[in-house]
Amino acid sequence: MDYIYSILTLTGITMIGVMGTYMVTGLTGQFSFGQAAFMAVGGYVSAMLALRFNLPFAAAALAGSAAAMLAGLLVGVPTVRLRRDYISLVTFGFGEAIISVLNNSAQLTGGAEGLVNIPKRVDLPLVLLSVIGCLLLVACYKNSKYGRQCLALRSDELAARSMGIDVNRLKLVTFLFASAITGYAGVLYAFYAQYLEPGYFNWTVSAEWLIIVFVGGINSLTGAMVSALILSSLPELLRFASAWRIIIYCVIVLIIINYRPNGIFGDWEISRLWKKSAKGEKA
Amino acid sequence: MLQNIFFGLSLGAVYSLIAVGFALVFNILKFSNFSHGGVMSFTAYAGYYAYIRLFDGRVSSSWMFFAVVTTAAVIGALTAVAIERVGFRRLRRNQAPVIYYFISSITLGILLENIITIFASSNFYSYPVFFSSDNLSLLGTTFSVADVVTLLVSSASLAGLLLVLYRSKLGLAVRTVSFDVNTASLMGIDADRVVMATFAMSGALGGISGVFLGMNYSLYPQLGQLVVKGFIASVIGGLGSITGAVIGALLLGIVEVALIGVVGSGWMPACVFVIMLVFLLVRPRGISGVIVQEKA
Amino acid sequence: MSAAQQSTPTSGHLEVSGLCKAFGGVQAVNGFSFDAKPGEIVGIIGPNGAGKTTAFNLVTGVYTPDSGSVVLDGVSLGGQRQDQIARQGVGRTFQNIRLFKGLNVLENVMTASDPYADYNFFSAVLALPAKRASDRQAAEKAREYLDLVGLCGLEDDRPESLPYGLQRKLELARALALRPKVILLDEPAAGLNPSEVREFIDLVKRLHERFNFTIVFIEHRMEVVMNLSHKLFVMSFGKLLASGAPEAVRRNPEVIEAYIGEEE
Repeated sequence: MDYIYSILTLTGITMIGVMGTYMVTGLTGQFSFGQAAFMAVGGYVSAMLALRFNLPFAAAALAGSAAAMLAGLLVGVPTVRLRRDYISLVTFGFGEAIISVLNNSAQLTGGAEGLVNIPKRVDLPLVLLSVIGCLLLVACYKNSKYGRQCLALRSDELAARSMGIDVNRLKLVTFLFASAITGYAGVLYAFYAQYLEPGYFNWTVSAEWLIIVFVGGINSLTGAMVSALILSSLPELLRFASAWRIIIYCVIVLIIINYRPNGIFGDWEISRLWKKSAKGEKA
Repeated sequence: MLQNIFFGLSLGAVYSLIAVGFALVFNILKFSNFSHGGVMSFTAYAGYYAYIRLFDGRVSSSWMFFAVVTTAAVIGALTAVAIERVGFRRLRRNQAPVIYYFISSITLGILLENIITIFASSNFYSYPVFFSSDNLSLLGTTFSVADVVTLLVSSASLAGLLLVLYRSKLGLAVRTVSFDVNTASLMGIDADRVVMATFAMSGALGGISGVFLGMNYSLYPQLGQLVVKGFIASVIGGLGSITGAVIGALLLGIVEVALIGVVGSGWMPACVFVIMLVFLLVRPRGISGVIVQEKA
Repeated sequence: MSAAQQSTPTSGHLEVSGLCKAFGGVQAVNGFSFDAKPGEIVGIIGPNGAGKTTAFNLVTGVYTPDSGSVVLDGVSLGGQRQDQIARQGVGRTFQNIRLFKGLNVLENVMTASDPYADYNFFSAVLALPAKRASDRQAAEKAREYLDLVGLCGLEDDRPESLPYGLQRKLELARALALRPKVILLDEPAAGLNPSEVREFIDLVKRLHERFNFTIVFIEHRMEVVMNLSHKLFVMSFGKLLASGAPEAVRRNPEVIEAYIGEEE
């Protein structure tokens, strides 16, 4: 039972991270290979504050997310102006840079050996609440002028600009929001696993999240969440070794790209279910 | 100083193989082919395997080197063609937007990396030493034989490629297709075959560079991540341009060697990253690249 | 039915003079000028490749002119970003239809009014009443525009699934939602069959009567050009070849010569 709890908790944390990736990739069409780095920032900052200054969890969590958002600002400002291919490279570089900084600052962060003895403050209920909370925030974002304008600029940047949409600002705002949420996922992870290591947040993690979003359907938040749920928990439950799990992910993606490029869910959202019934009443 | 420049050049030469392999595909299909890294590590391992199989661990010599390089080039070409078939052919048929090629290529790269991990474990292997540790003395400085050979073979491969691109019918077809796939087909060019040929060339270069990387860095599954160097070189030189890729790569090699001397190998990647970022913001076209502006 | 803000006939004066733009060695636009007074319908015609769409792109900020000026109601648009220019009241449609594929028909129109929506980030993510009211209004407005162009009832459809003629209408509705002073239409009748063209001419006339904005359009179909324009500017090889009332321009020998070999 404990094992299932732990899987669910970790899956929930991954889902929050994937939400960030969904926003950056699904909403604004940028391929970020450094999302996991924001998770690292959130986790490390909050953990170090708690360990060194005995900050209570809520404050540390806030600080961690804020730090991640700041990092997002640092990366985002130059990035949003770049072409698509470059964005991947820059975010990749940033991610690796963060990892190497964490590795090389043994005094502060424990370096490659990791940060230990983080107090346990997070458990399944908090994670579940967080998942639901963040999901609501992201869904509302998608349903607002922000979401619409993002989808517009993702579809056709030139036309979007012609409609008065401030493309760069929107990309940045979305990026900041995403990095804050991803940072929060890092906080949850730090105070759950009680141990952090730079190597946990490298670009392959970011790539996995991209793959998850892609499989679920780059256009569908619901798809991304379901995909995260399944692709995260199943391998753990079935106890796949890490390399095989990734191979299976890759094969799934290749199949989907070739035969169902819109992802399993296309652009279907679960909200369609209740929108349809509302429409029926109105007419 | 001269030695450093030379060393940087030979490193840059390897990078240029990667960068050109990268640029070839970019020219044709307009996306950054990250599976190139997978091809590189795959062929590096394949070369190693071939060496073990063919020569039974006998003491190595220079002609074995050429055998391994050739094998790697061939395997690289085949792998790349297979990748094109699996990952990109359907996308071309369906006229899919660029994003999908991109994801497909990354996925294939990761796939290859993990296949290697499974079959060869994550241990590091050391590549056989093909050359004596002799040094040549020239102009008052010493150059290692290995570096000289690297430089020579890379240059030869590149020269060979440029010959094909600019002096052969196939090369003409490749350059045509890189302008516009559809028009080229209307002119009677079999786009499929040309794309396949391009991938083959790209893969061959990838194979050769894989061997060199194996020699320089020893063999491990993540070797393919060095494709990022190729990407950086292409970016500096200009994403659409073959000559730009070469120039960018040579520069990168020299800069890297210089930086290692100044800040040490720990901080070097971070510095390169910052330099590249500055470059992107100041001159996104690169040195000789052409960025096509979108028409409304 | 509440109407969109009516532009009074005193605004929407677009003065373009001396536009020049070269790409590499090619001088695409070479000192082109035109003038559209408030409420006028101005046509820009000329053989293919004359540089007409490039001129539009220069006006809307897609490209920066090498020289020349673009002035809207006395305010220079030069050096501003595309989205800034759009928000100043310059709407446009495109030669190759550019609709937003990830959004449905209604949302496509709403995107033009979203930059004006006045709720902030927190209202958005917490779905506060202010946000919901604002979005509801925007949706209502969007439905009005769709109704005006005749796309009622198709709100939930994907733009790609609409027939070509309706896609053109959608682009028009979207440009309307920007509340523009000037609308630039780039070959809006291209690809339409004869009855659709007549319908389109009527639609533009109706919209023009109602909103009184200035219209500048590029067209090849003489039916549209003759029926709609108050004034014509003929462009050839990047330069202004002739200008004036439609009938006079039509009979101008230089214009006829420039068009020999062109379809109607």
